[in-house]
Amino acid sequence: MSENILLKAENLSKIYQMGEVTVAAVKNVDIEIVKGEFAVILGPSGSGKSTLLNILGGMDQPSEGNVMMNGESIIGFNDKKLTAYRRDKVGFVFQFYNLMGTLTARENVELATELCKDALDIDEVLETVGLGDRKDHFPSQMSGGEQQRVAIARAVAKNADLLLCDEPTGALDFETGIKILALLRDINKKYKKTVVIITHNVPIGDMADRVIKMRSGEIIEIKENENPIDPERIVW
Amino acid sequence: MKKLDKRLIRTIGHSKGQFISLVVVVIVALIVYVSFSMIAEQMYNSIFQYYRETNFAHIFVDVSRIPGNSVDELLEIEGVDQVQGRIIFDVPLRVEDPNEKVNARIISDPGTEDQINSLFILEGEGPSPGTRTTAVLKQFFVGRDMKFGDTIRPYIGGTEYSLQVVGEVGSPEYIYLMENEQTLLPDEKGFGVIYVPEEFAQSAFGFQGSYNNIVVTVDEGHENRVDIIADEIEDRLDRFGVRSVITRENHMSHSVMIQEVDSLEMMSTSITIMFLFVAAVIISIMLSRIVRKDRIAIGVLKGLGYDNKQILMHYVKYSLAIGLVGSILGVLLSIPVADMLSGVYIQYMNIPLFTGAFDIRYLFYGTLLTSVFCIASGVFGARSVLKITPADAMRPETPKAGSRMWIEGFKALWQRLTFSWKMVLRNISRTKRRAFFLILGIALTYAVTMLPVFMSTIWNTLFDRQYSQLQKMDYSIDFNIPVERNALLELQQLTDIEFIEPKVELPFELVEGWRKETINVIGVQRDTIMYGFRTASGRQIELPSKGIVLTDILARQLQVQAGDTIQINSVLPGKSDKTIQVKAVVEQYFGKNAYMDIEQMYDILEERDIATGALLMTEADVVPDLKDVKNIRGINSVQDMRDAIMEYMDLIIASMGSMMIFGGVIGFAIVYNITIVSISERMMEFSSLRVLGFDKKDIFRLVTRENALMTVFGIILGVPLGYSICVGLVDYVSTDMYTIPAVIEPFVYVYSAAATLVFVFVAQLATYRKITNLNFIDALKNRIS
Ligand SMILES: Nc1ncnc2c1ncn2[C@@H]1O[C@H](COP(=O)(O)OP(=O)(O)OP(=O)(O)O)[C@@H](O)[C@H]1O
Ligand SMILES: [Mg+2]
Repeated sequence: MSENILLKAENLSKIYQMGEVTVAAVKNVDIEIVKGEFAVILGPSGSGKSTLLNILGGMDQPSEGNVMMNGESIIGFNDKKLTAYRRDKVGFVFQFYNLMGTLTARENVELATELCKDALDIDEVLETVGLGDRKDHFPSQMSGGEQQRVAIARAVAKNADLLLCDEPTGALDFETGIKILALLRDINKKYKKTVVIITHNVPIGDMADRVIKMRSGEIIEIKENENPIDPERIVW
Repeated sequence: MKKLDKRLIRTIGHSKGQFISLVVVVIVALIVYVSFSMIAEQMYNSIFQYYRETNFAHIFVDVSRIPGNSVDELLEIEGVDQVQGRIIFDVPLRVEDPNEKVNARIISDPGTEDQINSLFILEGEGPSPGTRTTAVLKQFFVGRDMKFGDTIRPYIGGTEYSLQVVGEVGSPEYIYLMENEQTLLPDEKGFGVIYVPEEFAQSAFGFQGSYNNIVVTVDEGHENRVDIIADEIEDRLDRFGVRSVITRENHMSHSVMIQEVDSLEMMSTSITIMFLFVAAVIISIMLSRIVRKDRIAIGVLKGLGYDNKQILMHYVKYSLAIGLVGSILGVLLSIPVADMLSGVYIQYMNIPLFTGAFDIRYLFYGTLLTSVFCIASGVFGARSVLKITPADAMRPETPKAGSRMWIEGFKALWQRLTFSWKMVLRNISRTKRRAFFLILGIALTYAVTMLPVFMSTIWNTLFDRQYSQLQKMDYSIDFNIPVERNALLELQQLTDIEFIEPKVELPFELVEGWRKETINVIGVQRDTIMYGFRTASGRQIELPSKGIVLTDILARQLQVQAGDTIQINSVLPGKSDKTIQVKAVVEQYFGKNAYMDIEQMYDILEERDIATGALLMTEADVVPDLKDVKNIRGINSVQDMRDAIMEYMDLIIASMGSMMIFGGVIGFAIVYNITIVSISERMMEFSSLRVLGFDKKDIFRLVTRENALMTVFGIILGVPLGYSICVGLVDYVSTDMYTIPAVIEPFVYVYSAAATLVFVFVAQLATYRKITNLNFIDALKNRIS
């Protein structure tokens, strides 16, 4: 079983000290992400989802605890190794699309793939996310959903094993949101990527292999879905 | 191309104005550095190369008369390498226009091999022994438009001689040619040097077998002992009536040239550093703003796996691009500029070995210098990239903490301010460091602008002080042989003279401790109306009946003050030395002299009622009437000197103009860039104001008001800054020959302020386009660019 575990966090805590007040964004979290699965982290706003994901993605350091990727701890990593981890092991989709405004869709994707040794074919990935004909547009010329798809293409094209998506549908209307989710599911299946997405939208949990529920920085429930449903059938 | 580089190029494309203005600053720095440093170095080298090739003397001695064998005895002195006797006299030259006064310095040429100060033949040949031929110093040759075969006619001791021009020559002794220290500027038409065969000079001046000038060279190993050797020469020659012993260091042409080279170097260094420094500060302010704005983008890049070095480089490349583009254009432009400048120096400096060839090394140095400045400022400005973490990309920008300002403590005052003024003040206090730099930048602009305005007034002030206040005569006449005082009356019959006074002007050696200076002491009537003596504090004084009055340059060199007693030695042989009290130190801007009551002069000379010259006040042009008077050696006209300087005015105005451009470039670059940075930083704020109903003009007005306030402070700070720079410059360029009064007329301040306002205004106008072109909706929508 343990060779099936891609990412594993043990006793993870993140505490912010703000003057007198201490905020525990993440508290003693234990979590395992299985290779090839589609996991959803569910929780209300402020429950620590982004904080957790950032730590898993090597974007942020925990106050306490351990994170292991393929059995190797990333916590003691120096800046250089951590950068390499982000570059080679993780594709990250930001909550706000965070595209470079002065680069076209294609260039935004290339910005990421330039760093990687065996990146996927950019045009193919852009085709997959349905932007084959908008490659040369700048973000300001695209809708929010389209921008989000560029962001996903950017994360996917790196061909990393793990895809972490922070609220990929948060800023989108229902229909566009569904399309994005379907896309992520396809990528999960087609490219055999492990996908973890964050949402505060409970129904989205139905499409996941596993649902991790958070509240106030803690994991309150982990639920395996025997029969994940098609994204198209989600309603919220 | 790397996508990050593409992003960089587009970023530059979106801030063309800023990029270009910074590139211009770099270009100016580079051009100034390359052309001025290069010319300075080449000039320095070619001067000394010239000295070596012509065997330029180390010591110059003027005596009354010395036999040739006594000259040779100087070889006994340890360290003396070669000696050579010469005959030198300044005589009038007869020219076609009878009203034109032309003097020539006749110098004897021994015609031997390896002589001291050998002639550098530019064309033709040197004067050949046994003939009445002459070689003419280039400046004079050109200034009087001479041709080989022309005859020039010096007037020596009542006889007119004819000499045939056979050569055009250069001399290390007269790279910079001036008749004397009083003339201040070269007059190539009115005064020149001609070289004649030695035996001609000896017979014409009655100096068979003897000389009145000696040049000495010193062994290579003794070059640091030149002063000691000069002293020994002076002691040995005492009985021949030593008028002056001058070392190369104090030689007029040499010291002017060295000063020229030094000031070129100083200008090159200070302007280059100033411009690069301004560029560096703007770059680092701009980059740190860009990095702050790009916080999320940087977080994203880190999230994608870019490392610190790559991201830092991304931003440093911005400044590197400025340095590179600036360097390339600067290098391209500095080639013609250096060429042009060399041309000017070749023409004015008379150093035949100075070719002004372009020196590739300087392009390399210059590029290196600008690159280092740009990279350093880039790294400094972008260094906060390192502190940004990928997690930052997830957080919205935290608004800058607003806090109350001290001024809000004055409730009554604060409440009276309009809303816009409150915004202006808040914003200034929120970005104090940048506001400070803006004020400093405007102050610098003001000071840099003030310098040329001030300098263009120098000549007028100088003339006004020297001639309207100190020397009030219109003409100063020198006789060949001293005359009876009464003889002056005869002059009055020859021409139309309003007032005339006698003077006795003779060289004396003034000694205080080991310091000594040989200068002309001028005796005039106590109640003279020709001079208006003033002390440094501006107090008018009269000549004392006993004692001597020194000019300030002289007092400084001798290190004496009013009240001290000094020794006064006649340079004529056989007169005993006396002591005399310094009664006052007076201002004199050029020339160094000492003055005393003419009656006391008679006591010292033990001779009464003579005059070596006369001072005239008249409206008339007296030169035509007096030029044939046998005993008159020279007539100095104040008007002529004024005119001579006016000829230089064009050159002065041109160089002042370019200095003004420097001020403009700096002012524009600073105001424009800082304003753009400030606008881009407050996009959100302005957008909200737009939503509230402000229009573009209102926002422009807000920004303008802020800059106007800064400009006021900047100019206030600029006044003392400009003042100290002007005074510093005056100190720096003041030489043994002249001082420049540090009098800054009030209008100089006003003009500089007006020019500064124009620069600020233009820069402000340039930002208006930025404001109207800004898309406020985009600003509200886009999180990252
Ligand atoms: N830099 C920070 N300093 C202090 N507190 C922080 C910081 N970042 C996050 N927090 C706090 O940590 C808690 C968890 O934040 P986090 O962003 O992980 O929540 P979230 O579950 O992603 O919420 P949302 O659904 O709104 O994105 C919040 O209470 C937040 O205020
Ligand atoms: Mg979140």
